[in-house]
Amino acid sequence: MRPFEDYNPFVHLVYFVSCSAIVMFFLQPVTVVLSLLGALSLFFVRRRLAEGRSHLYSLALFLVMALLNPLFNHNGATVLLLINHNPITLEAVVYGIFAAAMLLAVLYWFRTFSQIMSSDKLLYLFGGVSPKLALILSMALRYVPLFAKQAKRVNDTQRAMGLYREENLIDNTRAGARVFSVMVTWGLENGIVTADSMSARGYGIGKRTQYTLYRFYRTDVLLLCTTLLLLSIVVVGGALGALDMQWYPTLRLPRTDALALVTYVAYALLSFLPTILEIGERARWNCLQSRI
Amino acid sequence: MELLTVKDLSFQYPDAIAPAVSDVSFSVARGEFVALCGATGSGKSTLLRLLKRELSPRGERQGEIAFDGVPIDALDDRTAASGIGFVMQHPEQQIVTDKVWHELAFGLENLGVERGIIHRRVAEMASYFGIESWFDRSVSELSGGQKQLLNLASVMVMQPRLLLLDEPTAQLDPIAASNFINTLKKLNRELSLTIVIIEHRLEEIIPRCDRLLVLDGGRLIDADAPRAIAARLPADARLMRAMPTAVRLFRALHPHPDTAACCPLDEREGREFIESTYDNAIRSLPEVSAAASERAPVALEIDQAFFRYERTAPDVLRGLSLTVYQGESVCILGGNGSGKTTTLGLLCGLRHPYSGRVSVLGKPIKQYRGQSLYRGCVALLPQDVQTVFLCNTVREELKGTEQAQASLPYSLEHLYDRHPYDLSGGEQQLVALAKVLATEPEILLLDEPTKGLDAYAKLRMIDVIRALQSKGMTVVTVTHDVEFAAACADRCAMFFRGEITSIAPPRAFFSENSFYTTAASRITRGHFDGAVTVEDAVALCLQNKLREGAL
Amino acid sequence: MMVIKSARLRTVLRWLIPFVLIPTAVIVGLLVLEQRQHLLVTLAVVLLSLLLFLCSFEKRAVGVRRQVIIAVMVALSVAGRFIPFFKPVTALTVITGAYLGGESGFLVGALAAVISNFYFGQGPWTPFQMLAWGLIGLFAGLLSQPLRRSRAAIIVYGVISGIVYSAVMDVWTVLSYDSGFTWSLYGAALLTALPHTALYAVSNFIFLWLCARPFGEKLERVKKKYGV
Repeated sequence: MRPFEDYNPFVHLVYFVSCSAIVMFFLQPVTVVLSLLGALSLFFVRRRLAEGRSHLYSLALFLVMALLNPLFNHNGATVLLLINHNPITLEAVVYGIFAAAMLLAVLYWFRTFSQIMSSDKLLYLFGGVSPKLALILSMALRYVPLFAKQAKRVNDTQRAMGLYREENLIDNTRAGARVFSVMVTWGLENGIVTADSMSARGYGIGKRTQYTLYRFYRTDVLLLCTTLLLLSIVVVGGALGALDMQWYPTLRLPRTDALALVTYVAYALLSFLPTILEIGERARWNCLQSRI
Repeated sequence: MELLTVKDLSFQYPDAIAPAVSDVSFSVARGEFVALCGATGSGKSTLLRLLKRELSPRGERQGEIAFDGVPIDALDDRTAASGIGFVMQHPEQQIVTDKVWHELAFGLENLGVERGIIHRRVAEMASYFGIESWFDRSVSELSGGQKQLLNLASVMVMQPRLLLLDEPTAQLDPIAASNFINTLKKLNRELSLTIVIIEHRLEEIIPRCDRLLVLDGGRLIDADAPRAIAARLPADARLMRAMPTAVRLFRALHPHPDTAACCPLDEREGREFIESTYDNAIRSLPEVSAAASERAPVALEIDQAFFRYERTAPDVLRGLSLTVYQGESVCILGGNGSGKTTTLGLLCGLRHPYSGRVSVLGKPIKQYRGQSLYRGCVALLPQDVQTVFLCNTVREELKGTEQAQASLPYSLEHLYDRHPYDLSGGEQQLVALAKVLATEPEILLLDEPTKGLDAYAKLRMIDVIRALQSKGMTVVTVTHDVEFAAACADRCAMFFRGEITSIAPPRAFFSENSFYTTAASRITRGHFDGAVTVEDAVALCLQNKLREGAL
Repeated sequence: MMVIKSARLRTVLRWLIPFVLIPTAVIVGLLVLEQRQHLLVTLAVVLLSLLLFLCSFEKRAVGVRRQVIIAVMVALSVAGRFIPFFKPVTALTVITGAYLGGESGFLVGALAAVISNFYFGQGPWTPFQMLAWGLIGLFAGLLSQPLRRSRAAIIVYGVISGIVYSAVMDVWTVLSYDSGFTWSLYGAALLTALPHTALYAVSNFIFLWLCARPFGEKLERVKKKYGV
């Protein structure tokens, strides 16, 4: 059992896309709750309570989104109250809450995804589609910190030469533009040397190979197959109507027959798969350590 | 067995009046370590680039270049790309990808080498160069020396038979430069790698290379073993200034070119030569009274300053105190990360200590409002002088500075129509200095002013600083270059971990240091006292008698 | 394709069909049809269009130097985001499109979206941003003649494309929120985003006003000097 983060990036891509696509496609209370819990548990298992304030923003976003729907959407049969002659309905309120929860779930899935998907991994995936583009991306990624550093240097030098004047926004904006402009010159000149260095090492003489640090280990294949299996169960279940849901004009509760239950269990497993892996891996380490 | 043969090679750039390279013929044997030297503009970079087909400049070329018996134009793409490796001057600009491992694999990917083989070769190369511990890092986290080593490794991974290097150590600090040259020597000795290198700093290269090619005005004027060239080079030749201290010392005492003489090349040989040739009845030169400046008013003062870049980061400056008097030239020396550049930032108000005081011309720096600090008060010439330029021509760059320029000890008019980026390193330095001096500052701060300069430009820089100082300007210089500090400082300060460990006039400073000191001091140590420059050593030698039996 | 004589028109169509006609048809169709799962369908179409473009780029021979210049422009537009007041992605994409052609413009826009999301977070919105910014660059390339000729034109184009960009991204916001598409919700989204959009338009205006000419000249210089 390896930490979830160390699996092959392709497995990550398939996993996160499956999880978020299901909840976006089959928007219904059970999937939304499962997905949200899965996403949150993964996030907190990995990060504990780091980035505390960002969760408050997420909560605020959730509240705004949940409120927006009943204000703009007046479908539904059960009228709770009237605002400006517009009915606020129970159905719209409930839908708003679940739609906002779905967004929150997707947000958290992709937050973890962004943390895991380092540039190396993205390039590995991109390289499969277009090696040339992957290389351009890699170059750009190398340039960003380089340019930022150089821009800071130019800025310092120019400041010490009196380019900026305090309390004069227009002049300072103009000065900023000049610094950025000289960065363009510098970047382009710099790039030409890089291009030389690429040609000197034989870039463009023939078909390239892609060297990557990532392999498919047995465990990768296992996790990928599990993900795909669970995904297909949910999709088949959904196609057979197990996840059908009626929001308007009146709410009808999600199905609870055998097919629906199997589908829910499959999606629950899918949602909590990485959390289970993380916890299992930690337990194993604790166990190993206590034996030493 | 000749690996590289160049016959009657001439080259002229489009729009140029004279050829950049004319009638050059030479050959390099397998396993040879050859240094190509000459002043800026002697055509050495052009010649080196002509040897690498992919980097060959556009223009008119005549003559033959053959690699392993095959004309380079007839080589197939793979051999041309992998057989001849090329490392350039700037460590940053040659790197293509964002990760160390990817950069190492880049060349092999281009050749279409199979993944398994790339894996093996990259692993092997990383282990040989000691890159393993930073294999996974982003290149932006590496130091300059590490970057250049990475550039070398990612060329070597393609298993070239000939390695061309264009001033690879010019942008490195002395320790990283010495490491780099040692790695080259190791490759040459262990793998019989053939090397052709251009270097300004011959101090490190001359004792290690097999042959020296001397270019002047596009012509090959001499080619021989370094010892022979050192002995027969005219004593006033431009190249002489770039020679190692031992050579300059020897030739100052034996000014007539003499092929038979056994010229010392490194410090050990220099010491043997001095000790076996000269008596030491007079051990030191008379003291010069340097205390006059102490009585001048204070120009800059840092009082127990503490500084860090972030709250959680370690201190860069730990209780630093430094006083600089008006009209004085102070050189700050020390290793990387010892807080030298940060100190300059403090002195020109770019950084502020979280504890401690900084004052300029007797007034706390915080009391300078708006731009008043930068008007006629303090000016900074940064390490990377390209950051000074904002315009497309030197003329626009220097617009409105005519008055300040008139008082400069040099003229720039011949450069007016060029793009600042197209100038040589030394010229860029002078243009940037002119622009910085336009505010007519009383205090000039210089950050590594000799980085990347050839010996001639460096001497000119020393003259310029001396001239400015004679007009009453206070100069504070941060440098790695001990020879430079010995030549143009009134006082030298040694930085270590954000504080000053010693500060003294150069003669006392360098003769008390045992490792961090000038080559002349290392050569004469124990034999003479307080000889820190070649001039000092020569003067002492001439005052003493020749030993019996010596030449 | 053989019937159309003008090579220029052919190129225009080659771009127009996958990037504009298909997505428009799909979006309009979805709106009219009032079906569910618009988001995923749109996402799929966006991804396909991107894929189509990337594959065609992969097959074409593009000079080393042009590739490096694209990388430089991408990096500049991302690094520029850290300068206060400056959001140069749109402006740089427009300039690249106008001076180096639609393909380069598209790539700069699309890749800048990917890379800036390394700092601001990847998500299902990444392909939307890629396509939106890419198209801004692409059209700038198609309109390169007038854009290069007058500063006013390039400023107007930049400001409008900035606004359109925000509007397109709001479609994504609405789609992702509600599986259907409601105009009232879209209106609300546009309204809440208004200060941001306005700031963005102003920043684009200032940036292009100050930089369009000099940056274009720089690109021209490099093109000439190094034969890109």
